[in-house]
Amino acid sequence: MFKEERNYNKFVWEDLGDIEKGRPNLGLTVPVLAYRLLQYTLRDVLIAELGVDKANDILIKAGRLAGAQFCENLLNRELGFNEFIAQLQRVLREQVIGILRIEKADMENMRFTLVVAEDLDCSGLPFTDEVVCQYDEGFIAGILEAYTGKPFSVKEIDCWASGERVCRFDAREVKVDK
Amino acid sequence: MIEEVIEKLAALLQGRIPARIDIEKFDNETEHELGKMLNQLIDFMQEIHEFIIPLSQGELHDIKIQSKNFLASPFKELHSRLLHLTWQATQVANGDYEQRVDFMGDFSKAFNSMIISLDHNEKLLKKKIDELEKALSHIIKLEGILPICCHCKRIRLEGADPENQDSWIQIESYISNRTTAQFSHGICPECIKKIYPELIG
Repeated sequence: MFKEERNYNKFVWEDLGDIEKGRPNLGLTVPVLAYRLLQYTLRDVLIAELGVDKANDILIKAGRLAGAQFCENLLNRELGFNEFIAQLQRVLREQVIGILRIEKADMENMRFTLVVAEDLDCSGLPFTDEVVCQYDEGFIAGILEAYTGKPFSVKEIDCWASGERVCRFDAREVKVDK
Repeated sequence: MIEEVIEKLAALLQGRIPARIDIEKFDNETEHELGKMLNQLIDFMQEIHEFIIPLSQGELHDIKIQSKNFLASPFKELHSRLLHLTWQATQVANGDYEQRVDFMGDFSKAFNSMIISLDHNEKLLKKKIDELEKALSHIIKLEGILPICCHCKRIRLEGADPENQDSWIQIESYISNRTTAQFSHGICPECIKKIYPELIG
């Protein structure tokens, strides 16, 4: 189920299993350090094995899959944009992923500047003059794509690791020529 | 060298931005490095100075700290929060009461209470308007020219045949059917004299 050879993605929400049933004593949450151990060791190996660009690409693609499934399973896609954003902000807080804040929204051109404070991926990292939230870039793109049904490009423009204390993302719809 | 560094640091501590130090004149590697770091500190402080003044005046959109100025991180975070609050306030102004401010201490409480209160008051107002509109729909205004018989005072129904006697109804019925007014039946002194002269002493 998880390990057959293939060249396509087949992740679905149900693959996460029944966590409540599986962890009756330990519960649904884990410390952030467990999440970061997984992400940063995986990133380390990916870079060593495949190079930085390929590692980033894989993290973005994985984030995109996660974002799409997150949206389809935890968010109401029928809501109008403002209500959807309010809902997303609430769910990200409830799931202890981060504090979402919109700085700019250009609905006409479908372009948004959004910030995630206390981000799960990077808040508190040492300042390294880099943006490191590639998984988040994919995650946000996946959510917006699942909500709008249109392709989105998301770039992290500021990051805790680059000295911003918040992660700032530029998200825009990718216009496809018809 | 040391005197010059002290002078520059003193200026920074007094809130002034001094000119950069000329590091080319230092042959000693340590002095050169110290001068370089001092210049970086001066650049950082200059950038913070140019960022924080417009920020304090509420000019949020045309300011940015370009370099990786780690000393400015808390100000950049403040800038981000103010941008978000501006967006939130705009949303509320457009009638979007779903927005909430998270984790900004007393400000969150005050802002969120304001949104809840605005939402509540608007709903209350809409309910009142709805009630008034419903009440108004029961009141039919009488306007225009009413065709009335100059003798018996019957009124002709709108669009009805004037030759047909059924088209003419009592004025009391006409008004009662179209407004909430009701009629009681009494008699005026002049009519008593005409109709019931025996009742007058």
